[in-house]
Amino acid sequence: MPLRSAPLPRMAGQLSFMRAQTKAICDVRPGDLAVLGIPFEDTSAPYAGQSLAPRALRETSVYFGWHANPQFSHPVDIDARQDISTDGLHERLCDLGDISLGSEDTCHAALKSATSQISCNGACGIILGGSDPLSETVSGALPECQTVQLGGTPSDTRDFHIAPLPNGGGTTCSLDTTAQLAAFSEWRDASIPLFVRFDLSVFETSLSALCDRPRLGGLDLDTVMQWLSTLGQHEVSAIMLTGLNPNRPGMGVVKVGQRLMVTALLAFIYARLGFGIDHPGRLTSKENVLT
Amino acid sequence: MTAAITTFHPPLAQPGYRLFDGPLRDVTDAHADQIGVVGMPSDWTHSSRLGTRFGPEALRKATTLLQSMRPQGASFDPDTSRRTASATDWLIDCGDAEITAQDVDATTEAIAAMTEGLTIAGAIPLALGGDHYNSYPACLGYSRGLAKRAPNVRFGYIQIDGHLDFSDRLGAWGSHNHATNARRISELPNIDVSNMVWVGIAGWVDGGDLALIEEQGGRVFSAGDVHKLGAAEVMRQALAHAMQGCDELYLSIDIDAMDAGYLPGTGSIVHSGITPRQYYDLLDGLAEAPLGGLDIVEVSPPLDPSERTEFLAAEMLFRVLRRFRTRSVAVA
Repeated sequence: MPLRSAPLPRMAGQLSFMRAQTKAICDVRPGDLAVLGIPFEDTSAPYAGQSLAPRALRETSVYFGWHANPQFSHPVDIDARQDISTDGLHERLCDLGDISLGSEDTCHAALKSATSQISCNGACGIILGGSDPLSETVSGALPECQTVQLGGTPSDTRDFHIAPLPNGGGTTCSLDTTAQLAAFSEWRDASIPLFVRFDLSVFETSLSALCDRPRLGGLDLDTVMQWLSTLGQHEVSAIMLTGLNPNRPGMGVVKVGQRLMVTALLAFIYARLGFGIDHPGRLTSKENVLT
Repeated sequence: MTAAITTFHPPLAQPGYRLFDGPLRDVTDAHADQIGVVGMPSDWTHSSRLGTRFGPEALRKATTLLQSMRPQGASFDPDTSRRTASATDWLIDCGDAEITAQDVDATTEAIAAMTEGLTIAGAIPLALGGDHYNSYPACLGYSRGLAKRAPNVRFGYIQIDGHLDFSDRLGAWGSHNHATNARRISELPNIDVSNMVWVGIAGWVDGGDLALIEEQGGRVFSAGDVHKLGAAEVMRQALAHAMQGCDELYLSIDIDAMDAGYLPGTGSIVHSGITPRQYYDLLDGLAEAPLGGLDIVEVSPPLDPSERTEFLAAEMLFRVLRRFRTRSVAVA
């Protein structure tokens, strides 16, 4: 049953991702989308604050928790005029909370263990980082996965890189999405699941002031949503969000980065749950289109 | 040394900022075809990120600092090849309405009384928000004033916004808040939903609200439409739709239709992709429209430490008021 609670103010009450139900990790079921926070950062970032990202992402996600709002009928993608039923969302989206912080080694071990358990349960982890190196830990917990990386610095040539950061004379961002989608299809081995690394640096910096690694020539929101919607239609063991620093000096009140990431992530979640969304601006399901 | 004091600006007789550095006057001083400014420093009807109560002051400051309106003399407007006119010729600033934080009805009536008085006088009320709820009392006063000044005249409505604001209620905030202002305006006696147009809507909206608008003949242009059709064409179609059978237009400018990457200082940010240039093109399309009243809302200075938000918003006003600010002598 969809949650139809009293119309609390959106920011009140227990904070969970999109107002999803909370669960223990042992209760995660096959097909679930399990949100896990890792409020931890190493010293690689130029500014402290990425450990605050999981909370910031959850706070922003509440705006999209309309399945928990009894006064909201149902979302419509205004560009595609696509009517989306979210009734199944609450059954399959759950929030496991954050990993308890300890020493660096303890954090990495706990993250690796949790990732493995979510994957073994047949669910898809939505891991809210945290700094980018944590992705290596998640990747290590999912050795059977192919890795797709949106933004960030390329670390493995076997991975598929979408708009990577310039890497010291190497490849710069390619904006030919059609060609990249074709290359992705060729690269993809559908017999094994995906691990998706989603770093805020995939976006053009002018769209987000909260990225520690600014870049020119990044992607716009529509293109990132197109990618995440595509990826969400594959079997995915985990998607990890990194690179958001809600505490950039002087910018603590500017919540653009988290809004950008959660808006894009929604395309992945809807695609993963089979809600039929492709990406804004494209009609995919005539029977769902409002006239 | 005393004489030097007279070179100060603004004059000491009028401390504080006024919109476009215009004169501070009472509502009763307004006359026809003049902009009458009303501040609405209230964000008590916003449900999440506050700060728009500081919007009117920030807008007044930013418009005053626009170089083309400085007292050193009129400047050249390259878009119209005309000289700008001093705001003294076309605008009065009537100060702020009395805001009662705990009483939305009292606030509503205080704002409406000012915009009603301006409308009856034949002036064009320009209300400075404040969160977007305040658009309703501003339009309410305009509607009442219009009914007295021209009883048979109906008005069209264009709302540039990232959101529909057409909900009937919003959680604990009930029926009068920043998500219901357009719905309340649609219930006024001298407007039909079929003359209401939304421009710049982004992302996911409430399907029930959208269906209700379109079933009644209202028109919604998404941010995607602005990108596909172009801002000028969207506004041309929007204006044509809104003005069917109407003599005047009420314009509500919610700055949050602009992409949050450019404009983060607002309560409900969206990533619409709408650039400042596109937003200005939308407003350029209304520069010659038969404006009866307008408001600009959701400027929240505390949410943008760079302060660019209020300057982008000031430029929006600069655009839409072009007919007034450049109506003086053409450049030889």
